[in-house]
Amino acid sequence: MERSPPTVATRRRVLAGLAGGGVAATAGCIGRIRSVSGWESSTQVRLDIKTVPADADPYALRIARQLREWYRAAGIDARVTPMSEQELFRQVLLNREFDAFVARMPARFRTPDSLFPLLHSRFVETPGWQNPFGYADLEVNELLETQRRTTGRRRAEAAATLQTEIARTQPFTVLAFPDDIRAARPDRFRGWQGADLRSPTGYLSLDRTAPGRERGTADGTTATAEAASDRRTLRVATTDPRATANLNPLAVEFRRGDAVTGLLYDSLGYETDEGTTEPWLAESWAFSEVDDAHVARVTLRPGTTWHDGTPLTAADVAFTYDLLADTTLDGGPSTDDGGTTADGEGEGERVPAPRFQGRSSLVADAEAVDDRTVEVRFVDCDPTVAARAFTVPVFPEHVWMNRTDTVSLGGLEFGPATEALVTNNIPPVGSGPLRFVRNTPRESLVLEPFADHFLARRPPEELPRGFADAPAFDRLSVRVVGSGVTAVEVVTDGDADVTGTPVGADTVPRIGRAGDTSLVVDGRSAPYVVGYNALRQPLTNPQFRNTLARLVHRPSLVRAVFEGYARPTVSPLSTRRWVPSELRWSGEDPVTPFIGSDGTVDAERAREAFRTAGYSYDGDRLVRTAR
Amino acid sequence: MSLLAVVLEVAAVVGLLHLVSLVAVVGVDDLRAAPRRAPRTLRAALSPLATLAAVLAVNGVIRRLGAELSWLVGVNVTGVIYAIEGAFVAVVQSFATPAATAYFGFVYVFGYVYLLTFPLLATTLRGHTRTLRTLIAAYGLNYGIGLVCYVVFIAYGPRNLMPDLVESLLFTSWPRSQLLTSQVNVNTNVFPSLHTSLSVTVALVAYRARDRYPRWTPVAVALAASVVVSTMYLGIHWATDVVAGVGLAVGSVVAAERYERRRDADRRGDSGRSGESPEPGGSTERTRG
Repeated sequence: MERSPPTVATRRRVLAGLAGGGVAATAGCIGRIRSVSGWESSTQVRLDIKTVPADADPYALRIARQLREWYRAAGIDARVTPMSEQELFRQVLLNREFDAFVARMPARFRTPDSLFPLLHSRFVETPGWQNPFGYADLEVNELLETQRRTTGRRRAEAAATLQTEIARTQPFTVLAFPDDIRAARPDRFRGWQGADLRSPTGYLSLDRTAPGRERGTADGTTATAEAASDRRTLRVATTDPRATANLNPLAVEFRRGDAVTGLLYDSLGYETDEGTTEPWLAESWAFSEVDDAHVARVTLRPGTTWHDGTPLTAADVAFTYDLLADTTLDGGPSTDDGGTTADGEGEGERVPAPRFQGRSSLVADAEAVDDRTVEVRFVDCDPTVAARAFTVPVFPEHVWMNRTDTVSLGGLEFGPATEALVTNNIPPVGSGPLRFVRNTPRESLVLEPFADHFLARRPPEELPRGFADAPAFDRLSVRVVGSGVTAVEVVTDGDADVTGTPVGADTVPRIGRAGDTSLVVDGRSAPYVVGYNALRQPLTNPQFRNTLARLVHRPSLVRAVFEGYARPTVSPLSTRRWVPSELRWSGEDPVTPFIGSDGTVDAERAREAFRTAGYSYDGDRLVRTAR
Repeated sequence: MSLLAVVLEVAAVVGLLHLVSLVAVVGVDDLRAAPRRAPRTLRAALSPLATLAAVLAVNGVIRRLGAELSWLVGVNVTGVIYAIEGAFVAVVQSFATPAATAYFGFVYVFGYVYLLTFPLLATTLRGHTRTLRTLIAAYGLNYGIGLVCYVVFIAYGPRNLMPDLVESLLFTSWPRSQLLTSQVNVNTNVFPSLHTSLSVTVALVAYRARDRYPRWTPVAVALAASVVVSTMYLGIHWATDVVAGVGLAVGSVVAAERYERRRDADRRGDSGRSGESPEPGGSTERTRG
């Protein structure tokens, strides 16, 4: 919402009147002028909805267009501005240049604690997926902290109240959980159904089909050559070019999820579908209580190395938590004696990582005991929550300690960003099951299994459940195409095995018609939301946001935009047991019910609602006083 | 390698169109004389050719930098364009039939390439140096100015802004074509429409040369008109892009002709002193107003 010129115009008119009045101006008149200039004229409420174009996301823009219609029906001057996902994230997450945005959340919210970084007001000043809304609600803060500290019924109650409070105050409106639709070829790899292809584990859980079962592909020669040596490339067609140009897990504007970077960078543990954390790079961990604080002793798997051959040690793990808390490492490594944590820094400005803050903020400090053991001390929280901190990627100290300087171009320093945040990190040095081979920006990326990874080296009984083998492919090649339809066609033509990015519901018949291709539909997905900038007028007003949310009719969106391939939702949490029964979807929004019927806004009632919220109408335009 | 398949397909179809047109437009007599004439004509057109090559090379470099540069220095005008024309493209699409989609899809990819390349070939073979030079210079101006616009203006086409109203007809009916188009351009580069401007450029130059190309001119004009409609019909461009494209075409042709006229005048002045022949290429070329 921009302020329009009337402010100046009014003053000018008053001044002109003053000049015209000339000698006749009296002290009384001046007093009148002062009174008048306090009253500014009103302007129509404007909302610019930022989102990504149809090529990049099958649904976001159509959602935004529908919202625009609904907002307009209530007299709001709404418009839609499309931009690349990278640009959208830069404007929304780093610069907070937006009124509202429509996007898919970067990950599923399985546990209440996943909302902590998104909504706690301590992250208002932290760029990235940390409170991009500028939302501050003391009750929500308290509930977020309570669910971290408690267990059982008390945690469930805090989580339930938290979700209700969010649904009332609307920092963002949760729209629906879409079904991730993909096309996959079962002739070379199997296990597509059930594989979670939004996470790295999905690609690791695939199996190859028995040799000889392969049907001819369009590219017959390669297929035969591959069959001869039984080398197999998993070919992924994606509409998201960013991973071909940037592989930095901290570069928030380049990451949608962690499917690719998660294959390159291991974490100590991984989150299961149920929301629990299981050991991955760590062999095991044990919690104890020392001086009223929970401490975990984490043992790493033996013989782990980085992709460049350097041994991976507990020092790297300790370094990782320091780096995430402050990428300048200025406060000195927090493992130093005296236990200075992030708030103990002296000189420079802290530059926390724009991702992973929710999880890394659980850690008070981490210290390497020996090469394979690291002791992690937590802030005041329950161990089940604390273990989430183990799911952040582990960074190699010998690479990233050289990336702590603030960025400068030609001697000019730019803002508080460090090299760690802006490097494209190619080639990446991780410890994950795959390592980097080559890339062509905006076109392709090739990875291959890392022979020294524990999945390849350790006996099956030592490995995490369901991963009792090295990856089923000898190469993973990602290829960028222009849109979802093209991605599907590349798969049905036999030039790729799977569409890496989910495609739109409109491609379902196309996938169904193709003989050699399976339709993979996965309902375990991250929700679409409308996010509001709570630091811009009039979105600062929770009552305004609440009324705005009442202009959204989710069943219409599910029908018209998602063509039925989505479930409406009020709570962002995807795990049913955390969602209180009164917030579960039952055909209508229980907190902010739609003003209208069957997807059509009742303009008269909408006006009434906004009037009740303290706004007024000039004709059928919703106006507010420009102050 | 389905991209390669698409490229070969385009090359084969356009090659076939060229063969047919060569016989019909250039004629057997001129084709016989071509081996003697063509090298001279090309040599005479070397300077605009080099300029065009340079512009295309810069174009390639800028495209490598990608939309990145645009997002840094450009303005997003998608909303402005939408405010100007609204859902006009949806109205165009409301006349869609499968046959029309096939026709306009064909014209957008194959017809366009043919339209741009054939006059180069024809004028070279017939030795019409001035027309060739004008055409190449106009191409260069189109690309050069278009490129600047693409950096300065960020805009998504109607298919990307109103997917609920405008279907991405080319890519839903022939998805593989996007492998080719995304090699050539990115989806934020729609203002102005270079498909429109280059096609109209060809049509304008053909119209100027209608006396010498009586068979080609109507083909060029009809095909250019089809390309212009196809950009909107397929949901790729806005009407605003098309209008800007026509403006760019007219400007480019006028500028290129003026430059060539001045060059001719200069050369005549020079040749008056040195006694050289002013027209190294064809014999039938006349200066037209």
